[in-house]
Amino acid sequence: MTQTKQARELITAPLLRRESIGEQYHVLTFDAPQGFNAHAGQFTMLRGAEWGDAPLLPRPMSFLTAGTTPSVLIKVLGEGTARMARAAPGEPFTLLGPLGNTWRTPSAGRRPLLVAGGVGIAPLLFFARELVAAGVRPVAIYGGRTARDLPLEDDLAEVADVHVTTEDGSRGRRGRVTDALPELASDETEIYACGPDRMMAAVAEQCVERHLRCDVSLETPMACGYGVCLGCPVPLVDGSYLYACMQGPCVDASRVAWGAGAHAPVRKELRGTP
Amino acid sequence: MTSQAVRIGSLTLKNPILTASGCFGYGLEYDDFYDVATLGGICTKGLSLHPRLGNAPERICETAAGMLNAIGLANVGVEAFCTEKLPTLRSRNVTVVANIFASSVEDFVAITERLDREEGVAAIELNVSCPNVKEGGIEFGKDPRMSARVTEAVRKTTKLPLWVKMSPEAGDIAAVAVACESAGADALTAINTIRGLSIDVTRQRARLANSTGGLSGPSLRPIALRIVWELASKVSIPIVGIGGVFTANDAIEFLLAGATAVQVGTANFSDPRAARTIADGVRRYCEQRGVSAMELVGRARS
Repeated sequence: MTQTKQARELITAPLLRRESIGEQYHVLTFDAPQGFNAHAGQFTMLRGAEWGDAPLLPRPMSFLTAGTTPSVLIKVLGEGTARMARAAPGEPFTLLGPLGNTWRTPSAGRRPLLVAGGVGIAPLLFFARELVAAGVRPVAIYGGRTARDLPLEDDLAEVADVHVTTEDGSRGRRGRVTDALPELASDETEIYACGPDRMMAAVAEQCVERHLRCDVSLETPMACGYGVCLGCPVPLVDGSYLYACMQGPCVDASRVAWGAGAHAPVRKELRGTP
Repeated sequence: MTSQAVRIGSLTLKNPILTASGCFGYGLEYDDFYDVATLGGICTKGLSLHPRLGNAPERICETAAGMLNAIGLANVGVEAFCTEKLPTLRSRNVTVVANIFASSVEDFVAITERLDREEGVAAIELNVSCPNVKEGGIEFGKDPRMSARVTEAVRKTTKLPLWVKMSPEAGDIAAVAVACESAGADALTAINTIRGLSIDVTRQRARLANSTGGLSGPSLRPIALRIVWELASKVSIPIVGIGGVFTANDAIEFLLAGATAVQVGTANFSDPRAARTIADGVRRYCEQRGVSAMELVGRARS
């Protein structure tokens, strides 16, 4: 994970376009001539400039692209994302960023393997594009519940060798990303994962067993995005917390106490899995 | 005359807008956005005698025009604040109100003694919305006698201006306010958050790990404004209004109701420049009407 010292900027930018991918997923692209010098893994706090009192708080969103047309991939989960999914071109949004750290640079002689689950593809697609620009084409596992839960799969395929899994078998291999992981990971592999907590916990467990380096991009509720509200603690195995906004969102998965705090149900379900 | 300066007892603030404790870190997180020394002041994250990790997640959730938080008073502790945060604030001429909390009168005094040795603390704000472990865990701020005792003990420890932050959960908040005034408080901050609850119907459990949390944001504002209005007729010391202030007009409402200054809290999360924008808006309002900020105080009451 690499901490950057860039100044954070709060800008108001109109929505340039909204591309729907099925009903649940949308790519929102903004017109920001001043640009964001953000890197893969970093995020923005995004809010409709005309939302008024509700939804009250901005929503943390990984940058899908940066520069003068920054974009994010959203999945409709609550009122904030539902508003975003209805936004029309020209609607003003406030974007605060870049926030958080970036993905760690792959070690020399190691092969990056990206593991994405659903909307978790956003920071990994950005990362794959950066890797390709640096001359490394990564391998990726992309999993979803069904074929409809694989937004931006074609975009990922342009910059990575993609292996798809779906739980219902409607596309790619039937099963979960962790079913494809064993044969695609070698001792020279370094894993980068982003997806639901449950998925990341399962990936982390495999990687710890095989002594593979695994970084995850954590998603937690947060109000501010820059270390003030203290709403985004992640329990660590050493008994302390890290704050996902400042010391994350990209974190070495072996540091995370997947069995603690909000992650407790995840751990329980893991134990129940044969 | 459209001066923005306001007087809280012996302390003069550049303008009536401060940031609220817990919603502005230690004031050093906003360098990218504006010069916080231009504000009336900043209230620090609540400081305890020793560092605190805070509660397990989930700590926050959004509610209708508001949010709940159960952060658990995570903070670096008064010593680290004095050595790592305060020197920078001091060098930048930031007006610093140190918000402190403890679970015993002795610890309130010990924190105050430590702060009293430092230059650059403009005032101390007591968070009395925490349990007194020596009196059965009842919150200091719910009881006039206990509120007075902690106020009096801190009063004897320092000559710094002393603000007491009112808990809206006191049965008789006016009695607490009067008791704090009698015990030597220089001002009252009104109000702290009100405890609320939100339940996730999918998981069928409370959204916060602590179950309940403090409600802040615009949904709190009418209640806070009403309490400021009522307290203004009960005490003669200044009142610092707080509760869901998001716009200049919100802040002006508090001034008109009888507050001498106003704290901006949750709005900082929605917009990190909120307090600066609100201070500018209050100044414009005064300029348009040819009145000073002090002249607005309590104007809606007469």
